[in-house]
Amino acid sequence: MSIAKKIVTWSRIKSPWVLHFNTGACNACDIEIVAALTPRFDLERFGVQLKGTPRHADVLLCSGPVTRQIKDRLKRIYEQMPEPKFVVAVGTCACSGGVFDGCYNVESGIDAVIPVSAYIPGCPASPKAIIDGIVKLLASIEEKEHGREAR
Amino acid sequence: MRKVVIPIGPQHPALKEPECFSVTLSGERIMAFSARLGYNHRGIEKACEERTYVQDVYLTERICGICSHAHSTCFVQAVEEIAGLAVPERAQYIRTIIAELERIHSHLLWLGIAGHEVGFDTLLMYTWRDREVVMDVLAALTGNRVNYGINTIGGVRRNISPDQAKDILKAVDTLEERTKYYMKVATEERTLIERLAGVGTLSHEDAVNLGAVGPTARASGIDRDTRRDDPYAAYGKLSFKVITDNHNDVYGRTLVRCGELMESYNIIRQAIREMPDGPLAVKAPRRIPAGEAFSRYEAPRGEDVHYVKANGTEKPERVKVRAPTLANLQTVEKMLEDGQLADLPIVIAAIDPCFSCTDRSIVVREARKRSRNILKWEDLRSYSVEWYRNNRGLDFSKLNRKMAGRLL
Amino acid sequence: MEEKLVNLLLEKFPFLAGRVRVQRTRRIFLRVDAERFEEIFVYALHSLQFTILCTITGLDNGGSFGFIYHMAREDGIMLNIETEAPKTAAVIKTVTHYFPCAEIYEREIADLFGVTVEGLLEGTRYPLPDNWPKDEYPLRKDWKAANKKSENNDA
Repeated sequence: MSIAKKIVTWSRIKSPWVLHFNTGACNACDIEIVAALTPRFDLERFGVQLKGTPRHADVLLCSGPVTRQIKDRLKRIYEQMPEPKFVVAVGTCACSGGVFDGCYNVESGIDAVIPVSAYIPGCPASPKAIIDGIVKLLASIEEKEHGREAR
Repeated sequence: MRKVVIPIGPQHPALKEPECFSVTLSGERIMAFSARLGYNHRGIEKACEERTYVQDVYLTERICGICSHAHSTCFVQAVEEIAGLAVPERAQYIRTIIAELERIHSHLLWLGIAGHEVGFDTLLMYTWRDREVVMDVLAALTGNRVNYGINTIGGVRRNISPDQAKDILKAVDTLEERTKYYMKVATEERTLIERLAGVGTLSHEDAVNLGAVGPTARASGIDRDTRRDDPYAAYGKLSFKVITDNHNDVYGRTLVRCGELMESYNIIRQAIREMPDGPLAVKAPRRIPAGEAFSRYEAPRGEDVHYVKANGTEKPERVKVRAPTLANLQTVEKMLEDGQLADLPIVIAAIDPCFSCTDRSIVVREARKRSRNILKWEDLRSYSVEWYRNNRGLDFSKLNRKMAGRLL
Repeated sequence: MEEKLVNLLLEKFPFLAGRVRVQRTRRIFLRVDAERFEEIFVYALHSLQFTILCTITGLDNGGSFGFIYHMAREDGIMLNIETEAPKTAAVIKTVTHYFPCAEIYEREIADLFGVTVEGLLEGTRYPLPDNWPKDEYPLRKDWKAANKKSENNDA
């Protein structure tokens, strides 16, 4: 791996910048994501920084079953993120529609709209589960990058 | 008139729900404001008709993640009224205790968000750290931090053991200390008061006409609280004060919520002391006989109402939910009238919308020029912090550092 | 107190006999035809102090739509007035001149049931999205979410 690529991979793994997006959730997963940033759980010690724009983000943290109104916006946000990008579906609603599966105005889960890299189930997903999910995602990114280099 | 449109952006770290607001400006002053809601519409009322009552208890909990117990209790109360069930006293007390714990976590959440909206991030970190105390208690009592699942038709599903009761009392003592500290900050810290006082004014008359509920209404002098006026659960047997305030602005709403926190601690202590022994639930029939009922509940944000109509089958005929934020949203336009653009984030956050601190997109129109901007919430918030720093000399960065420097 | 209020109502509107019931403390339910609804509504508001409108519920009763206006007093007593409109002429009059807060509840009924509210000013729809197809009213009993799903698949 060239030096530049090594640095980029290292920074991507050591400090993923996330974007949080709510696609019509009940808010529980969103509070848990915010709680993950507060002193008790403190995601920022893993180098995770919350950004305000998709153009700066590596990881899209998505919660909520996708409602009809928000579907296009979700696609557009995904398209605005630069490669390589990862999507984490937080909460059961994001994974599969959850309790709202079958309701009108709701698609069933985020993977109906954009590709998902990691699923964190839970209703809501507790902050510990969120941290676990993100760390696992980072580990898999590291493996993938190193795997690619080996080839 | 020139029109400039910026695409809707991603969400902000704090709670997000997509909402679209449209603001017409003349210079700095807001001339008109309107909201486009419905982004969060999931079709729950229809879904309730297609599921059984027991499934609906689970579903109504997830109408909102912050006041989940509010919605599920309100629903269950209506069903129990139709079925003529006599819920055991111990269950009523347990529901009350969980309800007050939920109110505590919600108000602490709000305090943090309000701090965040004005640029006072240390308050966000402090209050959310304290909120974890309540979340631990709730997790120990019910098994989950949010969406407790404590209700069932006819009563509650879990008991509170004497050891758990002791833990609750210890947590309440800790929180009471910390809340006193926040009240001190709210009443003595000049920078915070200047950001909150005189902002988002809603006169008593307007609050009555526009149907405001909850702390938003009580901060405008409306003495209404469903716990006292239309008692449910164990509130009829407990004594507590209804906190009202006459400031009519965001500062008033802050004081009301802090006051309610203190009252919640008292209510919990009373409830634990007076909770009788007894069964936890009565058996409820699968098919609820035909009938209708209207149930009201004082959620942390205001009065939450559920109307349930049963038709003798195991699925309800109609479930109607009116959450408190819907009632309060209609007051925001009035509050913003003649206000500053810089105050918009905190005013909207002050009604504690259930999609609070959401990254909504704000459409800002210049009345004189033909320009139209769509701002991200985060941009608007940074704008407001900057504006106050430059024009009023209110800078929270020193206070943030000072508070962060104190031992946690 | 509930009995007293019921008696006052029956005195003023004798045709309501048999259509008012007190379900429990603080809960009064009554049914009235559309023509006489407004006078009862106004009487409850101005003379009986039901000054709070909690919400307006829409119902699909098969051949007609039902509308329940949930009014409350400061002391907690509630009056739930139910009125009807046939599906073939699904029109109700707005009450926003009595209660400005009713605007959003009426928009909700209009959007979800397809009812026309006379006198309601133009405004953005609530709660359905902008790209929701015309003539699809989700809360009607004959509307099934399955219809929506198949539409999505075709799209």
